[in-house]
Amino acid sequence: MKFSIKFLTCSLLFVAVLSSCNSDDDNFSNTPMSLGEYENGILVSAEGGSISGSVSFISRDFSTSENTIFSNTNAEELGTYVQSVGFDGTKAYIVVQNNNIHVVNRYTFLKETTITTGLSLPRYMAFANGKGYVTNWGDGNNANDDFLAIVNLETNLVETTIPMAEGPEQMVVYADKLYISHKGGYGSNNIISVMDLGTRAINTITVNDVPDDMFINSNRELVVLCEGKPAWTGNETSASITKIDLSTDTVSNRFTFADGIHPAQMSYSSGNLYYQANNEVYVMSDSDAALPTASIINLGTITTYGMVVKADKLYVTDAKDYVSLSDLLVYDLNTNTKIHTFEVGLIASGIYFN
Amino acid sequence: MDMKRLIISTLLVSIPFFAWSQSALDSLQQLDVVVLKTDMGLNRFSNTQKTEQLSDTILLRSAASLTDVLNYNSTIYFKENGLGMVSSASFRGTTAQQTAVVWNGININSQFNGQTDFNTINIRNFDNVTIRSGGGSVLYGSGAIGGSIHLNNTLKFNQGFNSNLFLRYGSFNTWDGSFKSGISTGKFVVNFEVSRTQSANDFQFIDSDKENQNGQHYNQSLSANMAYRINAKNTLKFYSYVFDGERHFALLNPNETPTKYQDFNTRNLLEWVGLYGEFTSRIKLAYITEDYNYFENIASSSQTGAKANTFIAKHDLAFKVSKNILLNSVVDVTQTNAEGSSIEKESRTITSFNLLLKHNITSRLLYEVSFRKELTENYKTPFLFNAGVHYKPFSFYTLTVNGSRNFRMPTFNDLYWEGSGNEDLKPEDSYQIDMGHAVKFKNISFSATGFYNDIDDMIRWIPAGSNWQPINTDHVKTYGLEVQLEIKQRFQNHQFGLGGNYGYTISENQATKKQLIYVPKHKATGWFNYEFKRLSAFYQLLYVGDVFILSDNNPKYTIDAYTVSNIGAEYALGAAKQYAFGIQIKNLLDENYQSVANRYMPGINYNIYFNLNF
Repeated sequence: MKFSIKFLTCSLLFVAVLSSCNSDDDNFSNTPMSLGEYENGILVSAEGGSISGSVSFISRDFSTSENTIFSNTNAEELGTYVQSVGFDGTKAYIVVQNNNIHVVNRYTFLKETTITTGLSLPRYMAFANGKGYVTNWGDGNNANDDFLAIVNLETNLVETTIPMAEGPEQMVVYADKLYISHKGGYGSNNIISVMDLGTRAINTITVNDVPDDMFINSNRELVVLCEGKPAWTGNETSASITKIDLSTDTVSNRFTFADGIHPAQMSYSSGNLYYQANNEVYVMSDSDAALPTASIINLGTITTYGMVVKADKLYVTDAKDYVSLSDLLVYDLNTNTKIHTFEVGLIASGIYFN
Repeated sequence: MDMKRLIISTLLVSIPFFAWSQSALDSLQQLDVVVLKTDMGLNRFSNTQKTEQLSDTILLRSAASLTDVLNYNSTIYFKENGLGMVSSASFRGTTAQQTAVVWNGININSQFNGQTDFNTINIRNFDNVTIRSGGGSVLYGSGAIGGSIHLNNTLKFNQGFNSNLFLRYGSFNTWDGSFKSGISTGKFVVNFEVSRTQSANDFQFIDSDKENQNGQHYNQSLSANMAYRINAKNTLKFYSYVFDGERHFALLNPNETPTKYQDFNTRNLLEWVGLYGEFTSRIKLAYITEDYNYFENIASSSQTGAKANTFIAKHDLAFKVSKNILLNSVVDVTQTNAEGSSIEKESRTITSFNLLLKHNITSRLLYEVSFRKELTENYKTPFLFNAGVHYKPFSFYTLTVNGSRNFRMPTFNDLYWEGSGNEDLKPEDSYQIDMGHAVKFKNISFSATGFYNDIDDMIRWIPAGSNWQPINTDHVKTYGLEVQLEIKQRFQNHQFGLGGNYGYTISENQATKKQLIYVPKHKATGWFNYEFKRLSAFYQLLYVGDVFILSDNNPKYTIDAYTVSNIGAEYALGAAKQYAFGIQIKNLLDENYQSVANRYMPGINYNIYFNLNF
């Protein structure tokens, strides 16, 4: 681990220098009750590939940034591929496809423990009623080994697993129910599973192909981005933004994209839905009756890999050629212009706020 | 090979240096009769490029994999994904698909990914391994851009009955064994070789208490080669090879789902050689198959894989125009059928026409010129050429200059991968030139070769929406210098040898002006041999400079340079020194090194071996 140690040492030195310059003033004058070095900022998770996955931190005022904060703090690499990060209270759960979930303090990034058993190609983690819920693909080519792992958050052990249809992905909790989009593993699927958190009975809602990102809008609708099967599958299908009425768990509205358009990310902020297709960012309000025709931002020739909107800013990751470090691009939505660029980890996908 | 000669060549420390093909035209047909070789390109048309045949001693000392023997004895760089795992070569700064591996004259790079995994070749099944530097597409087709590696079996008449048993056992429960046996009369030769290597590969990492998990592997090969002299003019030859291997892929994290990979390859070649006056005709029929299966979870039977069958028919006609001029034409047809989990049944047929000329102007000066044109419906093929001069103005000095155009065709994966394949791909196209200076005296030889290679339309898979697609994109220039030195000295019964290779390589993407990832600027190997009566001992050194692992050459992400040393000793017994025992210590200085990021290699380790000729 010569390389890692050397790298780690450099990074630690870098942190030491940074903290001595910055946090002295900041911590004493502004935030005497600091919860940790990584409070007040943006966390960006990177999947990794030819190098380990990692998490980067960018301060809220965009003045400082630091890469590989997990290995800097814990003298350990996350490995590949870092799929997502779930947050519960002061803890962050870093979900890695090598069947580990690292539990860290979200503000200090000090590791508390690692969940090492009962997972098989874990994807996302959600929280409700004191439990953690982790979607697992198993063998991505096998439609019959997918499951939901229920984690006891006291012991950090998987206490139950519930079989799932192919490719369970993201989750949203609402009114004692867990909504799970089934992206479909290495294949595709077209359902939302609805699990009653008490009885753990499961219903399904059929949507369009490849449902992925979800959120609940201010009309109490579950909004699902269905990416559609792309042309290369040989069986291309239309993408849609599908709205599900949460009082009846039925599809209430559907905005179908033109043939050949496959939006890849969707995010929601104060009544507006943002999505990205072909490197154009579009915005749509809860009340709009049709998909927008004009984009607000053209991202240019980047490899858009993650996108999130928070307040008046749009955050996008550019994975470049997948063999060099990604950038986090920050756009100001008042002017729709790029205001910051930060180098983050390899193949950065997740953007979170601390 | 008779017993005595085999022993001598095994025990004598004799690393051939410049194996400039010595076959003068006059002895060509004579040679064809006595020693049957089948790789005619290597024997006849490699005079203006550097070729180096690795000696039996080198092969015996090496571990069984082609990776190990080439890594310690050439400037070719290897990217090994952990010990015994997937291994790819970078020859003169080129990519893994730009080194051709040639079995008895036939290119055996995978139809699917275009490269050879150097850990799926067991060297014990071959009589010689030769490194040919620089372009060779005219002779060997796709992929011979950086150079080519030749695995040959040689058949000889009138050698009687010979057998050889080799057995090695080493750290991490590693076994390496082979048995060879052959009978040879004046009319008939048959020999077979069986080899197996296996390893638990569960070494402890140097800087931690963890061990390499799920790294176990085995492979076994069987080869049979025969020749029958029908009459003075006609000889039939048959070469056959089967490889069966399974590797578990070592884990980076103990919690990962363990995976494994299986290879099953067969190669068969039938050749009819006819000598008719000034003409030598060779008709070859070859059938080669490759089959791989990948298990994403070893506990599950779910697997993905692909199979390809290739049939080759070839006619090679050599015409001795005069005492000093040899003209050679080759026509061949290659048909490949492939299918797999992500490739629908596809087929391609390639017809190629070659014309080759060698002219000895004087005994000191010769030139070679050759051309190749391929025809296929699957992609546009370039018109290839190779031209070179070999000039020996003094008995101790040789100059060679060679220029060529070479290519690498799109593979079945590139063209037909479900949903991603791009049928509009062009082949990768390379123009190159090299110049070699060789100085050779009685006890010392030295060579320096400079090369320049301009490779365009390089195929790279890049993301296209949610999918990846191969396109012709990169333009790369590689250039550098290769230096080789050998010194031998004898004092009474003590014989000393010292030598080494050094390669300086720049491989630069022309769009970004960055060095390609996993191409070191510096690589060196060195050796020292000592021999006294029945005892021989060696020291071996490998130095690999640091490499970038991200394409933007981010200095934070490099793999540090490493130096690995091995030592060994061998003692021969028996009246004719027909058996020998050896012991080796590898990675003597316990260097903690990795060839691929986070894939650390074992520290100091040991093996003992036994070699018997009878």
